[in-house]
Amino acid sequence: MAEKVTAYRFDRIDETLSQLNREDCAIIAGGTDVMVLHKSRRGVPPKFSKPIVFIDHLSELKQVYQTDKDLHIGACCTYTELLEHPLIPTPIKSAIKTIAAPAIRNRGTVGGNICNASPAGDMLPLLYVYNAKVLLRSVNGDRFVAISDFIQGPRRIQRLHNEIVTEIILPSVLEEGTHVIFEKVGNRNADAIAKVSFAGFMRINKERIEDIRFAFGAVGPTMIRSREIEKKLVGKTLPLADAEIDTIVAEFDKIIRPIDDQRSTAVYRKTVALNLLRYFLSLKQ
Amino acid sequence: MITFTLNGRVVETDAPATVRLLDLIRDDFELIGTKEGCGEGECGACSVFVNNLVQNSCLIPIGSIAGANIQTIEGIIETEQFKILDESYSVAGGVQCGYCIPGMIMASAALLSKNPHPSETEIREGISGNLCRCTGYNMIVDAINLAAQKGDGIWQKK
Repeated sequence: MAEKVTAYRFDRIDETLSQLNREDCAIIAGGTDVMVLHKSRRGVPPKFSKPIVFIDHLSELKQVYQTDKDLHIGACCTYTELLEHPLIPTPIKSAIKTIAAPAIRNRGTVGGNICNASPAGDMLPLLYVYNAKVLLRSVNGDRFVAISDFIQGPRRIQRLHNEIVTEIILPSVLEEGTHVIFEKVGNRNADAIAKVSFAGFMRINKERIEDIRFAFGAVGPTMIRSREIEKKLVGKTLPLADAEIDTIVAEFDKIIRPIDDQRSTAVYRKTVALNLLRYFLSLKQ
Repeated sequence: MITFTLNGRVVETDAPATVRLLDLIRDDFELIGTKEGCGEGECGACSVFVNNLVQNSCLIPIGSIAGANIQTIEGIIETEQFKILDESYSVAGGVQCGYCIPGMIMASAALLSKNPHPSETEIREGISGNLCRCTGYNMIVDAINLAAQKGDGIWQKK
C-alpha cells in the first residue's frame, strides 16, 4: 500500500516560501530528474524522505524578460517555453534542440536542471559561458549567486532549505559579434545523458578576440572552466595560429580529469573534450 | 484530493501526490493503452498529453497535475486525427509488436498538430523520444509522412 506523503502546492510563491521557512521540503519543478532519482519498483510511488512542494505551476517562476542587457529566465520555464520565446538567444535555442526529446522538453525546467547539479547537466556548460547568475528567494529576501559558485559538486548546490531558485540571469546578452557553440556527445541524439559536452563563447571585434570563454561538461564533478586560460586568448587575432591552439589544448589537457563510468571512459572523454576545444578554437569566424 | 480532467471527464483521486500519472491511469482508471517501458523518460511508451503537450507520464507525480487536462491514447481514439494515423500506420507497416505504438501515436499527433508538413528530419526529431525495437523506425517515419499528406488540413483543428 502506498505510504502517506505530505505534499504542498500553493497558489502563490509567498505561501510556498513561508512553508519552506517552516519545514525542510523536497522541491519538485518538472520532476524529470527527481522522479527518476527516487524511483521505486513499478506501481510503487517514488519515495521521498521529506514533504514535497510543487512549484512548476507558479507564474512568477515562468517569466522571461529583459532589463538593460540582462536576460531574466524564470526558473520553472520549460525547455519548450524557452524554444518558443522571442527573447531567448539563438545559440541557446539551438542547444535546447539537442537536449532530451519533445516530451521531456515539455516538462523539464532550467531551474531543475541547475538544482539537479549533475556533472552532465545539459544546460550547464552554456550557462557557465554566459556567466549566468542564480537568483534565490526566501522569506528573508533575494540573493544572487554565480552559477559556478552555486553548483558545488555532483548533486550539491548552495541552496538553503528555505530558498527557491526563482530566476537565472544571463548578464549582458549581446548577440552582436558573439559566437556561441554547444556540442553534446551521447549514445543517442535524444534523451541521452552526455558523455562529454562543451560550450564555447567568443566575442570578436573585427578579428580581435574581446572575450572568450569555454566550459566542459561530464569530464569532472562540475563544469570545467578556467578563466586564467581564457585570459591568455584575449587580444589575439583570428584565425589563431596552430601553435597557440596547441598551447591552450595542452593547458586543458592538464586540468581535465574525467572518470570511467557506465557511459564512457576517461580516455574517450578527454580526447573528445580536447577535440571539441580544438574545433572551437579553429573556427573561422 | 486531486481533481483533473481525464479524456474529457473531470475525475478525482485520493491517491498520494507522488504516485506516477502512469500508474494512476493504468491501475486506478484502467486505461491500459499507455505503456510502461523504461520508467525513466527515455522510451516514450508512456506518452500522454498534458494540456495538449506530449509528456512522459512515468515522470509526472500526480500532485503536479491538479486542474490539468490529461489525454491518453484512449482519449484521442475517436478523433479524425487518430483515424488518419491509424490508417497510415497500417498502410506503411509501422506496427509490429505494437508496444511502442500508443506512445508513437501520441508523439506523431503532437508533431503534426504543431507542424502539419514536417520534413523527414523533423519527423525523426518529433519521435526522437520514442523507442521502437521492431521496425527500425523507417516505416514509422513513412506512416507519419503519409498521415501528413492524407490528413492535410485537419491537424490544426482541436
